[in-house]
Amino acid sequence: MAVYKRRYNSYTGSLTPAWSRFFVLTRFAFVDLFKSRFFVLLLILCIVPCLLSAGYIFVANNKTVQLLMQLRSVDFFVVENQYFIVIMIVQAEAAFLLNCWVGPVLIAGDLTNGALPLFLSRPFSRADYVLGKLAVLGLLLSAVTWIPCLLLFSLQSGLAHDGWIWSHLWMILPIVLCSAIWILMLSLLSLAVSAWVKLRIVATGVIFITFFIPAGLGEMFNHIMGTYWGALLNFSFMFRIILERGFRDPYRLLDLRGRNEIPVAAAWSALIVVCLLSLVILNARLRARETVRG
Amino acid sequence: MTPTIELDGLEVQLGGRTILHGLTGVLKSRAIGLLGPNGAGKSTLINTLLGFHAPSRGSARMLGLDSHSSGKALRSLVGYMPENDAFISKMSGVRFVRYMAEISGLPSEQAMERAHEAFVYVGLGEARYRPVGTYSLGMKQLAKLAQAIAHGPKVLILDEPTNGMDPPARKRLIELIREIREAGDICLLLSSHLLRDVEETCDEVLILRNGKIASICNLVEERRANRKFLELETIGAEASFTSALESIGCECAVFSSGRIKIVMPDSVEIREVFKVAADRGVQIRRMNHRRDSLEDIFLNAMEQTGVADGRL
Repeated sequence: MAVYKRRYNSYTGSLTPAWSRFFVLTRFAFVDLFKSRFFVLLLILCIVPCLLSAGYIFVANNKTVQLLMQLRSVDFFVVENQYFIVIMIVQAEAAFLLNCWVGPVLIAGDLTNGALPLFLSRPFSRADYVLGKLAVLGLLLSAVTWIPCLLLFSLQSGLAHDGWIWSHLWMILPIVLCSAIWILMLSLLSLAVSAWVKLRIVATGVIFITFFIPAGLGEMFNHIMGTYWGALLNFSFMFRIILERGFRDPYRLLDLRGRNEIPVAAAWSALIVVCLLSLVILNARLRARETVRG
Repeated sequence: MTPTIELDGLEVQLGGRTILHGLTGVLKSRAIGLLGPNGAGKSTLINTLLGFHAPSRGSARMLGLDSHSSGKALRSLVGYMPENDAFISKMSGVRFVRYMAEISGLPSEQAMERAHEAFVYVGLGEARYRPVGTYSLGMKQLAKLAQAIAHGPKVLILDEPTNGMDPPARKRLIELIREIREAGDICLLLSSHLLRDVEETCDEVLILRNGKIASICNLVEERRANRKFLELETIGAEASFTSALESIGCECAVFSSGRIKIVMPDSVEIREVFKVAADRGVQIRRMNHRRDSLEDIFLNAMEQTGVADGRL
């Protein structure tokens, strides 16, 4: 089918492995995303707290700089589990904002113009499709959560006294696991919203509503019923419980209102249920053909 | 040779309604037309063949692969041009086709090359860098065809390909489809409610009515069978003319005003009729080489009552 010959020829060349094709979606989505200046700015802003934290770690481990800056309170510069909890929370919020911008357009664009049958009429399943879109958010949100946190951990390990790394090695697990559940929940939720609502601004609003309305309802439930289980609907709070327990925080840094009677298993379950509900919505919406009942 | 499509008691239910009622049939031609009025089940059959709908009973196979159990393998052979709008509006045409080709498994460079080739081939070379969302309806149809052929499928499924096209664009598209069909090792499944589209591009026709097979008709055989059917208007034809025709094996029916209908055996050529007429001084004023058109076949199938499962 060479251009100059203008005739149809079948393709006889090599093919890419079937398992790797979901990444085509990811690659094309990234190219589209990086065309937006606002997105690039947002991404940089999401990484700024990590750069400031790196500076903090540098100062904390450098007595000369501390003396030059005439800083006397040595206790202020402590890089322990509470420090990483704070960084993780800041980065989780940054991930939430990034997700609100990127997530709503990922599937809606394909659904608006009926492109889904084109994807699914190829050797490409709905699972591949979701995986390809999920990888976009997974990679992006990883770039602002656990990857910079691990880099900060490595920086602290390199600058701190010998033995710090061995006594704090366990922190790698909560950094990765807590980030993983947060990323998974945010990604699936925004994909589900994107599959449901086609307008970006409305979809972004729906993501915000999904976080704040249930949390408010849960709070009302707590006040009316005199219980604390309503907090299960506050997904951010559930994430903080997981984070606090994961980092073995003995001071309960985040226990501001005495609500962390909720077991960590229940907090995990709440986030997993959100993931499952999102999958159910995706399963219902991502069809090559809609079936009209009746 | 593996049949192109095999249907074995295929029943499909959607939303609690039975859309396809136990379709059974074998279609062996390389270019198959799906005909039927709106709501006959053409698109449902295509969607079932693509694995979008699971059969509630029976099975459908394309090139020997079951649409349900070997769906992925089957779809790796298929290029699909859907009936409705299907594109990514913000992408340029060539990037859109490249995207689809890469999802079909072509490496990035080959996908890009084939996307350019496909775009030039369908006649959109000048518009390939424009966003697909800005294309006219006819251009979108051609872009859909380009994405369907870019990865070099073995089966090309076209669902109402000429929808919304003006006559010149339709003619060009039909020519393209014929070219693709004749160019190589590719099977064609074309669904349309426009008889002309099917007649011009297909060898075999499956006619659906109310989710049932109204007829399976091999157009090539029909054309061949009807080639010997002649209507003559003559001056000076007498009994000796028809006797002479009968003596060479023709069946004749004589009507008023010198009109004669002749059914000719395979061994007799038309020029022999002219020769007999010349020998007897009969003027042939008009010769109508009439055959059953697809329209006749279609209308006949639509008029039938009850379940039709046989050939015409």
